[in-house]
Amino acid sequence: MSDQKTERLINLTMALLATKRFLSKGEIFTQVAGYEGSPETKERMFERDKDDLRALGIEIQVGSHDAYFDDELGYRILESDYELNIGDLTPIELSYLSLASKMWRNQLFAESGSLALVKIDAHSGSALREDFGTSVLSLENETPLFAPLWEAITTHRNISFTYRSKGTSKRHISPYGLTLWRGSWYLVGLDLDKSEIRVFKVARIASDINFESKTSSFSIPEDFRIQDHLVMLQQEPRIVFTAKVRVGKCQSLRNEGAITNIDGEWDRINFSLGSDWLERILWFGSDVIVESPEERVAEIKDVLRSKL
Amino acid sequence: MKETALDRVSRALNLIPFIAGNPGLSIAQIAERFNSTPVQISKDLSLLHMCGLPGYTHLELLDIDYEDPDYVEVTDAQVLDQPRSLTQIEALTLVLGLQLLSEIAKEPAERESISELQKRLGKLIGEEFTRSVTIADGVIESPVVKDLRDAISNSHIVSITYNSASSDTITSRKIFPIDLFFKDGVGYLQAALVDGLEYRTFRVDRILEFEIEASDQEFISKLKEPDFAQREIEIEMGEDGIFFLEKHNEIVTSSREADGTFFITLKVSSLDWIKRVICSWPSRITVVKPLDLAEVVHEITRSTLENYS
Repeated sequence: MSDQKTERLINLTMALLATKRFLSKGEIFTQVAGYEGSPETKERMFERDKDDLRALGIEIQVGSHDAYFDDELGYRILESDYELNIGDLTPIELSYLSLASKMWRNQLFAESGSLALVKIDAHSGSALREDFGTSVLSLENETPLFAPLWEAITTHRNISFTYRSKGTSKRHISPYGLTLWRGSWYLVGLDLDKSEIRVFKVARIASDINFESKTSSFSIPEDFRIQDHLVMLQQEPRIVFTAKVRVGKCQSLRNEGAITNIDGEWDRINFSLGSDWLERILWFGSDVIVESPEERVAEIKDVLRSKL
Repeated sequence: MKETALDRVSRALNLIPFIAGNPGLSIAQIAERFNSTPVQISKDLSLLHMCGLPGYTHLELLDIDYEDPDYVEVTDAQVLDQPRSLTQIEALTLVLGLQLLSEIAKEPAERESISELQKRLGKLIGEEFTRSVTIADGVIESPVVKDLRDAISNSHIVSITYNSASSDTITSRKIFPIDLFFKDGVGYLQAALVDGLEYRTFRVDRILEFEIEASDQEFISKLKEPDFAQREIEIEMGEDGIFFLEKHNEIVTSSREADGTFFITLKVSSLDWIKRVICSWPSRITVVKPLDLAEVVHEITRSTLENYS
C-alpha cells in the first residue's frame, strides 16, 4: 500500500474533524488533498476510504444541515465521537491504568493494553512520568478467538464453529457473553440446535468462528446473567476417603485431613476430594493405598490395570 | 505480518497527539512505546509532515520538529491534539486488568478507587456490553501473592517453606523472587535460589510459609544464565489426548492425531514431575521415548497395583 493512500486517509480524517458543518462529496474532492482522477475513480476512492476509517473505529456522521435541499448528503467526524473522553486522571489512577494495561502477556490483550496506554499518556502527558513498572501479576494464555467472539457478541450475530470435546461436533450459537475462569475463557450462549444456554471452553473450539447471520439477529434476554450459567462455579460433590499413606510422604494429602499413625511405615488419613480425586491419588503412586470407599478402590484397580 | 496502510494510518493518528502531549521524547523512546522501530517512526513523521487541513500551506499543515532525534515535538497539531477514543477491545483490556488488580489490592480504599475507574472505562464500552464479559474467578487466591508482589518490587530475598509436588517433599529455601505470573488460574513464581544462584519456578499455592529477609538490589546481576537442559519425551495416548494437550500445552513441542490415537512430543526439565503426570493420568499413556522413563512409569504403576492385591 502506498504512502499516498496513508496521506489521503489522514488528510480526510483531519478535514472531517475540522469542519463544523457537513462537507459534501464535491467539497471533499476539491478541497482534500489526494483525490485525483475521473469522477468515478474519486467516487470509488472515497467509498473505500470511508469504509477504511470506519474499520479503524472512526465514526463518520452522514447528514445534511439544509432542510430544504436534502438531496446532497454531507460528511463529518464529531470531536466528541473521535476523542478520548475519560476526564482528568490523578497520578494514582494513572498508575492503576498503567498496571492494568500490562496485566496480560497474550498477544491480543498485550497489544490492546499498550495502545490504550499510549492514548492515555497522550491525554495526560504522562509518558515521561516515573515508570510504574511492569505488573508483577500477569496472565498469559493465548486467545486468538477472543476478537471474533467479542465482535459477534457486541453485534448480535449468530455463529457456528467446530467444538472438540471427546469427539467433535458442529455448533450453532447465539453468543451472549464471555467469562474468564482460572485463566481460560468460556463462551456462554444459546445453542440453537438444543434451544438451551450452554457454556463452551474457547480453547476447545477447533475451527474459525463463522458468522452465520447479519448483525442484530438476536437480542440477549434482559435477565441474562453469565454467573447463572457457569456450571463450574457450582459446588462439586466431595468424596470422603480413608487411606494408608507412607510415613513422610504424600505431603499435600496430609494437609487435607486427620492423621493417625499405624506403624513405622504407614499412617492413616481421612480426607475428602472433588472430581479430580483419581489424579490426586495416583500422583503419589505406591505411597498411598486407598481403603475406602470400596467402589473407588475397585475403580483405582481398574484404571491401574488398564495402564499396564 | 506485513503492515497495511490502515495499520499505518492508525499509528500516525496516535503519534501526533502522543508527541503533542509529551514533547521532548526521543525517536527511540517513541518507537518503543509504539512497538515499532526508529526508522519506521522517522518515516511516519516525514509522511505526517506533508499532511494537514485543506489549504495545505504551512499554516494548515501539521508542524513536527524531529530534526534532533533526541527531542521530538509537535509545534502545531491542528485538530489532532487529543488522542482517539479507546477501541472496545482496548477499554475492555483495561477494565479486565483493573478487575484482576483489585483482586490482589490490599486496602479497601484501593479497591474502591479501582472500581470507580472501572466504571468510568465501562462507559466507554457501553453499559449493555460490560455485562457480556466477566471474570468468574481470575486467579486462585493465595495470601502470599500480595507479599510476593511487594518482595519483587523491593528486591527482597525471602525464605520459603515449599511443598514440592514433583519430589513429594517439604523443604525450606532462600530465594530471590523475580517474576509472578498466572497460567490456568494458578500462580507461578519465577525465582533464583540464593544458594547456587540458579533459577526455579514455584507454584504459589504450594508455598506454605513465607518470610522476608534482606533487600539486595544487586542480586540479579550475580545470576547465571538460566540452564534449560531439557529432555525430549514421546508419548502415545487415546482420544483424551486432546485434554492432555490442553492441560500441558506449554511443554508440547508437536502433536498429531490418527484414528483416535494422539502422538505427542514434549520437552521437560524434570523427569520427577513428568513421571507423576503420566502415572496419574486417568487413562493409559504409552511412553515411547526415553526408555528409562518408560520403565520407571511401568514400575510405579505395577507396584501401586500390587499394593491392592
